[in-house]
Amino acid sequence: MGESRTSAGEIVLVQAVMCEDLQELIPQNPTTVFSIERRKAICFTSFDPVPQKTIIYHQWFHRDQTSARIKLTLKPPRWSTFSSIQFRAKDIGPWRVEIIDSQGNILDVIRFSITE
Amino acid sequence: MDRVIYLILSLRWQDIIDISLVSYILFRFYVLFRGTNAFRVLIGMTLLWFFQQIAVSMGLIVTSWVVQGVVTLGAFIIIVVFRNEIRTVLLARNLKFIFWGGRSKKVISTIEIIVESVLEMARRNCGAMIVLPGKEDLEEVIQKGIPWEGEISKEMILSIFWPDNPVHDGAAIIQRDQITQVSAILPLSRRDDLPFYYGTRHRAALGLAEATDALILAVSEERGDVVAAQDSQMKVIKQRRRLEQILQQHMGTAAKKSRESIKERLTVITAALFSIIFVTGVWFSVSKGVDSLATLEIPVVYMNRDPAMEIVKTSANTVSLELEGSGALINSIKPDQIQVKLDLSKSKVGPNPFTITRESISLPPGIILKGVTPPVVDVDLDVFIKKELPVQIDWVGKLPDHLVLTNVTIKPETVEIIGGKRMLEKLSTIYTGKVPLNNLEDKGAITANLALNPASLKIAPGSKEKVSITYATKLRDQRTNN
Repeated sequence: MGESRTSAGEIVLVQAVMCEDLQELIPQNPTTVFSIERRKAICFTSFDPVPQKTIIYHQWFHRDQTSARIKLTLKPPRWSTFSSIQFRAKDIGPWRVEIIDSQGNILDVIRFSITE
Repeated sequence: MDRVIYLILSLRWQDIIDISLVSYILFRFYVLFRGTNAFRVLIGMTLLWFFQQIAVSMGLIVTSWVVQGVVTLGAFIIIVVFRNEIRTVLLARNLKFIFWGGRSKKVISTIEIIVESVLEMARRNCGAMIVLPGKEDLEEVIQKGIPWEGEISKEMILSIFWPDNPVHDGAAIIQRDQITQVSAILPLSRRDDLPFYYGTRHRAALGLAEATDALILAVSEERGDVVAAQDSQMKVIKQRRRLEQILQQHMGTAAKKSRESIKERLTVITAALFSIIFVTGVWFSVSKGVDSLATLEIPVVYMNRDPAMEIVKTSANTVSLELEGSGALINSIKPDQIQVKLDLSKSKVGPNPFTITRESISLPPGIILKGVTPPVVDVDLDVFIKKELPVQIDWVGKLPDHLVLTNVTIKPETVEIIGGKRMLEKLSTIYTGKVPLNNLEDKGAITANLALNPASLKIAPGSKEKVSITYATKLRDQRTNN
């Protein structure tokens, strides 16, 4: 769950983490397991530098099935962004989020589980 | 009549072989075991079996039970009680006889024994005289005979006429296969036209031939020739065949032997015909009886698969076969007698539709296929490849509410998996089995098995089947919004 640094092109991913909440863009209770009672999970990513305005994707998978592909915009000189999902009863199980740049390169993969 | 013609025309070549084979086995059984006690008991058991069938068809419940019990017990009785007899029959004959030979019981007849003995004594210049009575009684004519009552054999005749034997003088009287008297004195012929070299033995032989209808064989001690005296005449016998003919004519065995031979052949032909008729009747009653229908669910067997490929998915693992046949055959079908086999030797990677034809299905003889559901089975094949996949923990259960799972590491982080190419291309993660959260402490290490789904996946040699997980928890920051 520690910081993940992957460079792809010009942007550099300096942090990618799953957390229960954000307080002023600071991840709260980073974890790999979410109780379904918590109702949501947040994928937080931080990039430095961001030379120019670009886009990235957070692609959410429940097991190997895509659940959501969320488009996010990054702006110079550095940028933090996040996406989240709301839990449903059928979402229990292993998940992963792939951080993908505008060229389709996978910058990082974060794995977590939704449990009872 | 039309029904009979239809049944005959519907016979396949396999059916004819079937009937012929079983008929021959039954016939051979008769040839091998006839005359034995086991065979007689077996005939009795067969009759009882028929009686039981009649009792069943008539609804005689208790009678059929009792007879069935006797028949069942009888099968054991035959094997146990007659085991020595059965063994004797089978061991006493060679394999060729068991499958082909006729009854070759070699009976050396009285005539053959007499001929052998007479010729042997002639070769040895051993004087002898044998009397074979005709229809007339000899008691009035023969004197001083010593009762013998011994079963005829060549050795016995030779010993009787052995020069040192006290009874070798005189004649031996043979009736049927018994030597009844020895050292018998015969009346002498008074004829004066006999050759000068004939002595008392020949004169005695002729004397009896003049007085009765007996046949007398005399062996000359000096010349070693054989003379047959009958009907007041004497003939020198130089050929074995001639001697046999004279004896056969006298004893009337030629016609008897021929009659016995014909009777024996008739018995064998009757047995052979009975075997064919009996087996044909049983065959028709079993295989061409009242038609019945049955539907059976049979597993599909996939054969000749390329070892480099694997079956990923099939549209059906069993097919439903609609079968028709006689009630007896349909009721006797066992699931393992029917197989549905699909030949995968020409199949390719990807979906392969297979139409289930009659050639794909092996059925017991006499059973007809009426329909198959589904008629087509899709078989999805793939080639084996290796792929390295990251491992992800499949957590289950619930952590205490005040704890958050923070640091988790897995060793090894990836494993190499072998499986179908198309299957593995879709997979990007291999998961562990269910790992419960409930028992976790503040921090620790646990091991977990890998869950291979689908089951056709395999862990490559060199990769571990288990992963070790180290974890740490910390207290939840309660400022988060719930």
